[in-house]
Amino acid sequence: MKEERKAPETLHSSLHILRLEYEELGHTDQRRIDMPQAQVTMDVRKVDDSASVIDIRGELTGFAEGVLMEAYEQASKGGVRAIILNFEGLEYMNSSGIGLLVTLLIRVNREKQRLLTYGLTEHYRHIFELTRLDDAISIYGSEKKALEAAGQVER
Amino acid sequence: MTEQTPQKEPERPPEQRSRDAEFWAQRVERLEASEIPAGAADVNVRGRREVGALQGFGQLWQKTYRVRLAGIEASPEEVVRVWKEKFPEFQPPQNRFYPSLAGVAPGELLFISATVGGMPVHTGVRVIYADDVSFTVMTPEGHPESGWNTFSAHRHDDGVVVAQIQSLARANDPVYELGFRLVGSTAQEAIWTHVLKSLGAHFGVNEPVDLHKTCVDPRLQWSQTKNLWHNAGARSMLYTMGAPARWFGGMFRRRG
Repeated sequence: MKEERKAPETLHSSLHILRLEYEELGHTDQRRIDMPQAQVTMDVRKVDDSASVIDIRGELTGFAEGVLMEAYEQASKGGVRAIILNFEGLEYMNSSGIGLLVTLLIRVNREKQRLLTYGLTEHYRHIFELTRLDDAISIYGSEKKALEAAGQVER
Repeated sequence: MTEQTPQKEPERPPEQRSRDAEFWAQRVERLEASEIPAGAADVNVRGRREVGALQGFGQLWQKTYRVRLAGIEASPEEVVRVWKEKFPEFQPPQNRFYPSLAGVAPGELLFISATVGGMPVHTGVRVIYADDVSFTVMTPEGHPESGWNTFSAHRHDDGVVVAQIQSLARANDPVYELGFRLVGSTAQEAIWTHVLKSLGAHFGVNEPVDLHKTCVDPRLQWSQTKNLWHNAGARSMLYTMGAPARWFGGMFRRRG
């Protein structure tokens, strides 16, 4: 038998059920849910007093959050104004990886820094366009060009 | 020991195909639907641009909902396969999803007809990423939120499969932002809790849903106030009010 959708007049009762389910959220599950380990390495190079490069190698997924934020903190030391992400070693990225870049960008903006990238393949450039990250993160063809742009920020 | 003949190294293409290439949707300038599922309306989808977590108006929130599917034998891949297949069925009654015939796959549209405060809201999302253990949808202009939702499953260290929904989004315009602050945020959390509970129930599990939320960016993006023009709630109202005129128009066209 084909199941009929509930009529609009049952909206109140369905909202009531939702409310009961939502109230369960109050009893938060305290068990720690760990994620599998990140398959990524991030090395930080301080180019000069104003710019640092983070060399990303491997997979950028949600599991890389700790590694990325740690690299960012290291890269930001000493009043660095430009953080440059080197994607030449990027092997894999999913949508959670894109989410990480958004949260990184927000942190960078909050610190009045600038986020630049280089080394993106054509495929990953398309993904930046698809997710509209390219609206806010500058993409360059090489480290030299990214550093030049970072230098212009300082002047 | 085998003697190896020196071989000429195969020529590499200028750019090797990435391992994730098949999981990502193609970029489109504006959304277009080749077919509209029965019962769905493309009024706030067709011709709209996609908007991400950087384009909306309101505060940016990351909300992670998780449920432990303790005791099930299914793998994370099997959980996500079922989730993709039954995505509309796991929604609460006032939130109807209409997938295309291809279902949840990269580039496919999912039309949504929701009821908010008794008023219909027609909108949709596009699947921008889908692999065996996750899929992500992105919102169009006019949708209440601007951002992504990722639905995934993974195996915890203790062997239990965990199903997760993670949203990274902000309200698309000032009206939605006000709505979210008053009631919308709570209602939205109830919806995703319902979805995870339904998924769990499908596998015979009744575990609590864990919600962790973080305000990633508390600032309002006043430059995005213009997004009001595309507000799907307002446009759905006009669309509904215009239904009799469309019906009469259709009658005359058929007779003509």
